[in-house]
Amino acid sequence: MSDIRLEVKNVSKSFGITKALDDVSFNISKGEIHALIGENGSGKSTLTNSLSGIYHKDYGSFILDGKEVDPSNQVEANNEGISIIVQELGTLDGLTVAENIFLGHEDSFVKMGIKNTSAMNRKANELLKKYGFDRIKASDMIDDYNFEDRKLVEIVKATYFDPKIVVIDETTTALSREGRDELYKHMKRIKAEGNTVIFISHDLPEVLTLSDTITVLRDGVYIDTVKSSEIDEDGLKKLMVGRDVTGAYYRADYDEEVSSEVVMKVENVSVPGLISNINFELHKGEILGFGGLSESGMHEIGKACFGASFDRTGSVTLADGTHINDIPTAIAHSIAYTSKDRDNESLIMNQSIRDNICLPSLDKLSNKAHMLSDKKLKTFADEYAKQMSTKMQSVDQFVSNLSGGNKQKVVLARWIGKDSDILLLDSPTRGIDIKVKQDIYQLMDKMRKSGKSIIMISEELAELIGMCDRIIIMKDGLISGELPRSRDMDENSLIAKMV
Amino acid sequence: MKDSKAGELKKQFIYNLIRSSLPIIGLIAVCIVFNILTHGSMWNSRKLILNQIYVVMISATGVFFIMSMGGLDFSQGSILGIASIVVCLLSGVNIIVAIFGGILAGAAIGAFNAFFYVKRKIKSFIVTICTMFLFRGFIKYMASNSPVAASMKVYDYDTTAIKLGITAAVLIISFVVFRFTGFGIKLKAIGAGEKATKFAGVRTDRVKFLIYVLSGAITGLAAFVNIVKNGSATANVGSQLETQILIALVLGGMPISGGAKVRFENVIVGSLLYVVLTNGLIMMGLSTQMMQLIQGIVFLIFVAIFADRESLSVIK
Repeated sequence: MSDIRLEVKNVSKSFGITKALDDVSFNISKGEIHALIGENGSGKSTLTNSLSGIYHKDYGSFILDGKEVDPSNQVEANNEGISIIVQELGTLDGLTVAENIFLGHEDSFVKMGIKNTSAMNRKANELLKKYGFDRIKASDMIDDYNFEDRKLVEIVKATYFDPKIVVIDETTTALSREGRDELYKHMKRIKAEGNTVIFISHDLPEVLTLSDTITVLRDGVYIDTVKSSEIDEDGLKKLMVGRDVTGAYYRADYDEEVSSEVVMKVENVSVPGLISNINFELHKGEILGFGGLSESGMHEIGKACFGASFDRTGSVTLADGTHINDIPTAIAHSIAYTSKDRDNESLIMNQSIRDNICLPSLDKLSNKAHMLSDKKLKTFADEYAKQMSTKMQSVDQFVSNLSGGNKQKVVLARWIGKDSDILLLDSPTRGIDIKVKQDIYQLMDKMRKSGKSIIMISEELAELIGMCDRIIIMKDGLISGELPRSRDMDENSLIAKMV
Repeated sequence: MKDSKAGELKKQFIYNLIRSSLPIIGLIAVCIVFNILTHGSMWNSRKLILNQIYVVMISATGVFFIMSMGGLDFSQGSILGIASIVVCLLSGVNIIVAIFGGILAGAAIGAFNAFFYVKRKIKSFIVTICTMFLFRGFIKYMASNSPVAASMKVYDYDTTAIKLGITAAVLIISFVVFRFTGFGIKLKAIGAGEKATKFAGVRTDRVKFLIYVLSGAITGLAAFVNIVKNGSATANVGSQLETQILIALVLGGMPISGGAKVRFENVIVGSLLYVVLTNGLIMMGLSTQMMQLIQGIVFLIFVAIFADRESLSVIK
């Protein structure tokens, strides 16, 4: 037998009218970390989800070690030796850690119809210990753990049975540095054991350091497979986008003076359990960054300034003296907010692009008798969706069918349509490919120059350093440091304040 | 690839067309079939059938709003009952007072529902099932010994012009408000994703509260039509109205979880279809038991067709 682990043969998959995968064929070897990259909507997740039984492919075949596999769910895929760590949360609330780890494989602990819980917990604790995740206890409810720890549990769940292929789909973006290091360690271990990792990531430097081979997809079509030792970041970008990526990525200026005019003043803001005693001022035309670990409370800053926090104390005051205590007041005073939880808080999934864009602007769009015309709504939505170059069939399409990057474009189109002056952007480029990222950075730069103020909350230090006039670092719900824009800033100086 | 895309688009378009036209085709088919089966006696009794549409159609309009935003209301029958008794009691004073009394009574029960649903955050179907029993109890207490009779004056208003006029007014105003103001978009948005709607600046709690009050008020108005028609309120007044409304709306193609696919036509087509269907079955000589059986089956089939499975979990 050759050293080919998996042959992907002519695989196609459509969602309604969108062709997510179009006749994709390539090979993956044993004992390698094989990265799968491409822009949003290029079909990476669709491919791995079809392989692991989450979706069912329309045509083609997956040949694992010479034998065709066609799992119809994740448990069947596990039995074939394929496991997956998905992009979003893959653990189930209301179950214990052990029950989550052995989900679908409880049978091995069942004797005469009775589940032996203590044996299961014992086995799970052994595994957790072996992985070095001692602080996680098998008998605890999974709900008691944060996003990061739950991801670690998923690593155990997906790898404890030595599968032949482990798919890791865009997991690193959700992890802190420590969590990433844990993950990298286990990826390398799996590789050393002669098994294969399929690794999906938007972080090209990460892809280049970790993987042996890289396959590029674009619009559901297979482009190329390259050795990572034989290509650089620009080469990959070119393959992904299909042309040279030119123009500035982050903003290029450094020594520009920020206006001293304060547009928003945050005083003694606390949200129980999340942030306490936060004070800062946002200036006109400024991009103010918030960085920190994902549990540092920085994500609550956006909500607090938008009047969306539960039980907030302290005050958020605008230049004209308005206090922001609820969302409608915030929006009426030209504040925009994009949530980290895009699919639940920023967008109404089963609703048209049109209505999603028009919703905050309905008052502006209606005439004196409070009447709206379909044509006006459509023109409005169309104008801003097109301005953001959203990839869509028409504005009547549901948002749920769009890819991550295009969803974010719809969110931004909504607030550009509203012509908001203060933008609270929480993780604006989360799970988004370079081309759209570049669009968003340029948009931010343009907004800044036209006098709009932006708060950018992000877990990606590189983009904070690249875009912000000032970076505030959060730790354990408190502000732990503030750094002005400078050429010499590097990630380490930020990390030192984060942990 | 372009061709296959166009083909898929066309397929989806045809599917949507079938989905949206099925209730209308059903309505026409049911009318034709029953007219043939009853040798035209259905057409001849059209006035009688029309007489049964008003109450269902008016109150279905209010429930349509509630269901658009993903809620349910099982207390409609009891609202109609209480409002009918209020109308009867006040009809001796003045007919205008009676109408407003009915509307106010309906709105009050709507507010009662809304308080528990919005402020206490209890699922709407649980709240309204409770209030259904609660107010049915009141009705039984008021009307068990003898029906509450209205003043003889109400019979002056028992004309098709008035009943049809009230129904048409409710429908037209509701249609315009739902279709051509931000109200409809907000309701559908709440049905499709409440959290995101809130983050888009809609005062969702306020909208939800108002809708329950409004729906109660509309059914309170329907109570006036009901009393004009019947002259008195018995202990069973309005009983099972909530099921009738639910079946009517679902027959009209209303997705049970509300959201973006909701259309105002659902109210009209659905109410007509429901009333024609039940009357047709009665004329065919079916017993009440058989009727319930058949209604149940038809209801299930339509729910299965129109359920938007992706968003079923969001019924509030």
